[in-house]
Amino acid sequence: MAYSDKVIDHYNNPRNVGSLDKKDKNVGTGLVGAPECGDVMKLQMKINPETRVIEEAKFKTFGCGSAIASSSLATEWVRGKTVEEALAIKNTDIVRELSLPPVKIHCSVLAEDAIKAAISDWKQKAGESKPAAVEAATPAHS
Amino acid sequence: MSVTKTQTGITPAGTQQEAVCWSCKAPSGGGHFCAACGKIQPLSREADYFAFFALPQKLQIDESSLEQRFHQLSWKLHPDNFVRASEYERNLALERSSELNDAYRTLRDPISRVEYLLLRAGVRKEGTTKQQAPPELLEEVFELNESLDELREAKSEGLPAGAGGDLTELRAKLTEAQANFQEKLAEVDAELKAVFAEWDDVPVGIEGDAARKSVMAKLNELLNRRSYIRNLVRNVGIELEQG
Ligand code: FES
Repeated sequence: MAYSDKVIDHYNNPRNVGSLDKKDKNVGTGLVGAPECGDVMKLQMKINPETRVIEEAKFKTFGCGSAIASSSLATEWVRGKTVEEALAIKNTDIVRELSLPPVKIHCSVLAEDAIKAAISDWKQKAGESKPAAVEAATPAHS
Repeated sequence: MSVTKTQTGITPAGTQQEAVCWSCKAPSGGGHFCAACGKIQPLSREADYFAFFALPQKLQIDESSLEQRFHQLSWKLHPDNFVRASEYERNLALERSSELNDAYRTLRDPISRVEYLLLRAGVRKEGTTKQQAPPELLEEVFELNESLDELREAKSEGLPAGAGGDLTELRAKLTEAQANFQEKLAEVDAELKAVFAEWDDVPVGIEGDAARKSVMAKLNELLNRRSYIRNLVRNVGIELEQG
């Protein structure tokens, strides 16, 4: 299967690979995975509690090229955005930007889930939400 | 042979009873052979593998009696019994024989049995199910992947002599992680077995609908988890084997 140029670019030069201090209370960590392909993605962001702006974002993904590109793109996109703006990012935006084929849509879903999970982790740390809110970031099993 | 009505309501009610023998036109009974004249019958489109063995859609199956039925049927459907029959009947026998083999292979293994059940019910679709890694395992999964990565890197860098310590350590770590996940796999299997029993206790008919749904969802989740862990164990195995 041919990957789009943008995917290849992110794959070869992934932006913001690495990790942030998980224990820092301004850092939200989102760890998500897809059972069938075994891919896992970790996305972390450092958020300014006053301005609610995401100042730094890092990722580490063990997965296919699309998953790596999706998470790389996600870190680029969330930087400088407020938490609320970041929550508005949809996997379909990622699909469009990277021209992902239908079979690779779940890779972009993983990235959207990771953003949501990281933010809900941060909110929980900041005492903004009860642990139950974490569930909301995890799609219900149906 | 009587055909048990399916529990899930996948088979439209009444299809089996209406089956009429192609040869004698009497009600065939829906079995492999006509109840009236004994001629082999075409496969019904709605029939599932459970019905093929005249079994209810239960997940706990006595495997030795299934095997017995399989042998009986393969003997009954054997081409040798149809050398003098019409071409039509010979084809039916062939068709049923191959269905028999598929059905047996599917039902014999508990995992493919439950997968089949969920596929038929539309709960599970190949490749399109919304996947979610077991949340409580994610940390371990991530760590495992990190060690795998390190191992791959260490290997590709072609370690200088004497630097083997790292590699040995990584291998030990991975072997341990693999054993750990293998244990988790056994846990999932035990859980699956328990839910098998739950499924078999769901009352037949409309009053069981809600329970059936929730048990199916549970089974589906366990299957996802199982395939996830199995993949991991397999990947680690491959990596450890390769030099
Ligand atoms: S194939 Fe699974 S995340 Fe891409």
